[in-house]
Amino acid sequence: MKKRWQISRRRMLKGLGAAISLPMLEGMQFPSAISSVANSQKSPVRSAFFFMPNGIHPNYWTPEKQGRDFELTRLLEPLNGVKDDLLVLSDLMNQNSNFEGGDGHYARTANILTCMQIKKTTGDNISSGGISLDQLIAQKVGQETLFPSLEYGLDKITTGVDINVGFTRLYGSNISWKSPTQPVSKEIDPRMAFDRLFRNYIPGKKQEEDPFKKSVLDMVMADARALKKDLGRSDQDKVEEYLESIRSVEKRIVNEGKRKDFEMNITPDLKKDLIRVDQNIDEYVEMYAGVDVTEKTRLMMDIIALAFWSDATRVNTFMFGNSVSNRNFSFLEGVNGNHHSISHHMNNQDKMEQYAKINLWHMEQYAYFLNKLKSIKEGDKTLLDNSMVFLTSSLRDGNRHSPIDIPVVLAGKGGGKLKTGQFLKYEERTPLANLYLTMLNCLDIDRDNFGDSTGILDGILA
Amino acid sequence: MKTVYLLPFFAFFAFSSNAQDSLFEKGLRPLLEKNCIECHNTNNVKGGVNLDNYKEEGRVIKRGRLWLKVLDQIKTRSMPPDTKPRLTDQEYDSLTNGLTHILQKALENQNPGLITIRRLSHWEYHYAVLDLFGVDFDAKGYFPGDGSGGGGFDNQGKALFFTPLKFERYYDAANLIVEDLSKNPDLWEKAVPFEYKITWWQQVSDWFKSIFTKDFQPSNPPELAAESVILPMAAKTYRRYLAKEEKAKLMDFFGKVYYSLDSIPNPTRFNKSMAEVFKLMLISPNFLYRQEEEPLVEQPIPLNGFELASRLSFFLWSSVPDEELYQLARTEQLSDTLVLEKQVKRMLADPKAKRFAEIFSSQWLGIDKLTDKGPVVDPEKYPEFTTSLRHNMYQETVEYFYYVLSKSKNLLDLINSDYTFLNQELAEFYNIDGIKGNNFQKVGLIDKSRGGILGMGSVLTVTSLPLRTSPVLRGKWVLEEILGTSPPPPPPDAGELPEDEALHEDLGLRGLLEMHRSKPGCLSCHEKMDPLGLGLENFDLIGRWRESYGKVDIDASGVLASGEAFNGPAELKELLLLEKEKFARNISSRLLSYAIGRSILFTDEPLLRKMETSLLENNFNPDNVIMELVKGYAFQLKIKDFQKKLNEI
Repeated sequence: MKKRWQISRRRMLKGLGAAISLPMLEGMQFPSAISSVANSQKSPVRSAFFFMPNGIHPNYWTPEKQGRDFELTRLLEPLNGVKDDLLVLSDLMNQNSNFEGGDGHYARTANILTCMQIKKTTGDNISSGGISLDQLIAQKVGQETLFPSLEYGLDKITTGVDINVGFTRLYGSNISWKSPTQPVSKEIDPRMAFDRLFRNYIPGKKQEEDPFKKSVLDMVMADARALKKDLGRSDQDKVEEYLESIRSVEKRIVNEGKRKDFEMNITPDLKKDLIRVDQNIDEYVEMYAGVDVTEKTRLMMDIIALAFWSDATRVNTFMFGNSVSNRNFSFLEGVNGNHHSISHHMNNQDKMEQYAKINLWHMEQYAYFLNKLKSIKEGDKTLLDNSMVFLTSSLRDGNRHSPIDIPVVLAGKGGGKLKTGQFLKYEERTPLANLYLTMLNCLDIDRDNFGDSTGILDGILA
Repeated sequence: MKTVYLLPFFAFFAFSSNAQDSLFEKGLRPLLEKNCIECHNTNNVKGGVNLDNYKEEGRVIKRGRLWLKVLDQIKTRSMPPDTKPRLTDQEYDSLTNGLTHILQKALENQNPGLITIRRLSHWEYHYAVLDLFGVDFDAKGYFPGDGSGGGGFDNQGKALFFTPLKFERYYDAANLIVEDLSKNPDLWEKAVPFEYKITWWQQVSDWFKSIFTKDFQPSNPPELAAESVILPMAAKTYRRYLAKEEKAKLMDFFGKVYYSLDSIPNPTRFNKSMAEVFKLMLISPNFLYRQEEEPLVEQPIPLNGFELASRLSFFLWSSVPDEELYQLARTEQLSDTLVLEKQVKRMLADPKAKRFAEIFSSQWLGIDKLTDKGPVVDPEKYPEFTTSLRHNMYQETVEYFYYVLSKSKNLLDLINSDYTFLNQELAEFYNIDGIKGNNFQKVGLIDKSRGGILGMGSVLTVTSLPLRTSPVLRGKWVLEEILGTSPPPPPPDAGELPEDEALHEDLGLRGLLEMHRSKPGCLSCHEKMDPLGLGLENFDLIGRWRESYGKVDIDASGVLASGEAFNGPAELKELLLLEKEKFARNISSRLLSYAIGRSILFTDEPLLRKMETSLLENNFNPDNVIMELVKGYAFQLKIKDFQKKLNEI
């Protein structure tokens, strides 16, 4: 019982919820009866994409019964509070994660949201094959919010190149791609992530905006344009990244209307929660940074929930770990070792059991987030009703690097367009991209295809 | 008669023309399209080979190794396959001769290979800011992380990206740096070495003059004072001459800020305005990118003085050039080999060379993760692996590498030696007596097992798993990082050994590995890796010496794939020292990739050979090989990008 994750030690110190075994259901829930933005117009649909590294225990995932009566298997059990909000989908496969010269991890991670083949390279011609789904959505709906999208994770980019398989490890650390050749950087520090969005709404922390910021940006933008003109092509592409980055920052500064809208969304209820999360982060930084990964995960999820709630953004990606992550999970009862090593369990019963426990930890964090969204009211709905929270791992059984029938859950009703509360089994090796196309459809983004899609998935759209 | 005469002439004409579209595009590409690309294109990648993307000669040269294989396939008539139409004799000759010519020419011409513009790495940003402004800013901790590319380093242009989040952080960083600068009077005085004031008398006389003269000039205009600081600082920050318009723009910006702050008294008003300009410089692409002017001609051309100075200083100091280098750049003396040699010697002797030692060695050996916060070994089972211990392990390797570079001058010391660098904590950890204090000092080793990087806690820890050692990982590490060779990846369901140290107390790791290796598919590679790692088994997962796993004694004997037998780390290292050629090759490629920020290309071969020879002939002296590198064409020349510019498309 003294395992760290079950209740963060901080809360133990505070004497709250000392006997809670399913923390996300009770002690860590949002203050109840909060109501959100509540503007009269239709609430926007938010999309989140969660990535788990290293696959899952293949025997404890897929339900037996199809349709609405499906049972929650051992790994899905943590989701029991939101069962009616789920779509559990089986037999999907990212077809393009399997190609000659590909490998077990990198070639299946960088493209999990692009559904295209990545280029085999140690770094000279990095390409994810296409834009990732989250970034495509951000392109379409991102203008509405202060931040087109947010990319979060727990770990720093893994450095080095894997000369063994001929890929840069960067591929295993990025699922968000603004274009085939541009990975989006992810934020891994709760303090920095929070401050970027909300710092100005915490009493005493407001930062005065530099009155010359706009002029400075204009100047360097002009510098970059001048520089770009005379460079060679591949240099030009690099400098263009710089230019695009400034443009996106500038847009936010210039657009006062949007900032006002955002400010309006910071209701007293929301503000109360901002202050709470801000304090939690302070405590985390003081005591648990680098020690307690559960705490960090939940803080990041708190921030995503706040960002959705306040409509700071409508698109998010979250990586529980980089591919091949060897996070030490010995803090879990009954686990003694690291994620990637344990995922190569060689069908050893004891190892497989540990593997399942690690998977379970991920599902519990996912459940924490879903429950949180469900606790936030938005009009007569909940924030979860107005979201699509996708969870996957690019592998099924990590032991075999198997890309067939990968675990997929889509939670939330997508603004009422999804028929949730079902387990659906598709034809073997149905392209994962078909689900993505369905999600785009749900967001009213008009596309005939995405990645290698062949059509939309049956039985999902209401 | 006439035709015979003309043929060689035509051939010469076709081959010697340097317009890219002549030989390859007009002569070979159509043949390839007709005979090869049907099966080797983007939609149909037979055998994993796609030739469709090669529309320019530059691309062919860039992937010369692949095209050597293509050439070989055509030459031996293995391709096109029997099921397809055979090449006519004329087609065969054109293709084989043409490709041979292109590839040969690429090597003879000393093609330096294209280097994509490099954003400063976080290390480079850190040191550039330190050298320019004196502010010690933790760039690595503040900016979202970069991945590595090419040779495995974080300074490879193609793997360095810019994103909105990064840009925001660069902006905020500039704020923090300038704030630090303003708060520290000593640093500020170095950047702005005077206090700007308008005296009472100047004010009165200016006012007086302004009444009677239409275009009066103030006696001490702030612009003039600002200019004396801003322009030299910008030139240093941008590492080149400033264009006239650039100067004007910087001064305009200063004026804009200065005149909008009219409620603030001087010198604060002046200083605040200066601070804004510094901020601007710090986020300018002219600072953040290492630019080299794009050549206008097709042939490779030498870098200009400033570009060469920058390449040198970022290579050896991870920062901007100093005044002496700039002076030589301005007077165009760096192209003189003697001057260059003298500078390289000076730079290597400068304490700033330790930055190179640290960045290069930590990324090459993969020990940089010891400086991150992330867990390495299980903290509950190994509480003795403290933050300070892991930092000291890292530092040992850095100090050692720096010593090899600056004092011992023999890179073979990396494989084996009779000394290392320790402070008290690390010495006690290694069970070595008599070392006091926190500072690292050179310590002679009696134990032959420890010397060299293979006996260091840093390397031994990063090649272990959090709960046990891994002879496979260590063996693979020796193959990849020391010898520069790599076994193919394991089959997907190869499996891994059990985690826990306790589990193999009965059988011993060797026994488990032998069991594992009994599969024939595994044997051929593990035969190469395992003995290397098993030879290091006397070091536990954090590098402490041990004689047994508990119940089973450690057997650190083995036979290398080449047949030589050894027992224990000391003998293993002796055998590794025999692999001089491989080691020389590996160091050369790593150094070159680090120095020029890209992967090794086919066209680098002649320079790599030179570097290797230099190592082998000069007792692995780092000075010689670095000298060879910086004098080499890949470092000295630049080449035009063969792709069409964006504004030309």
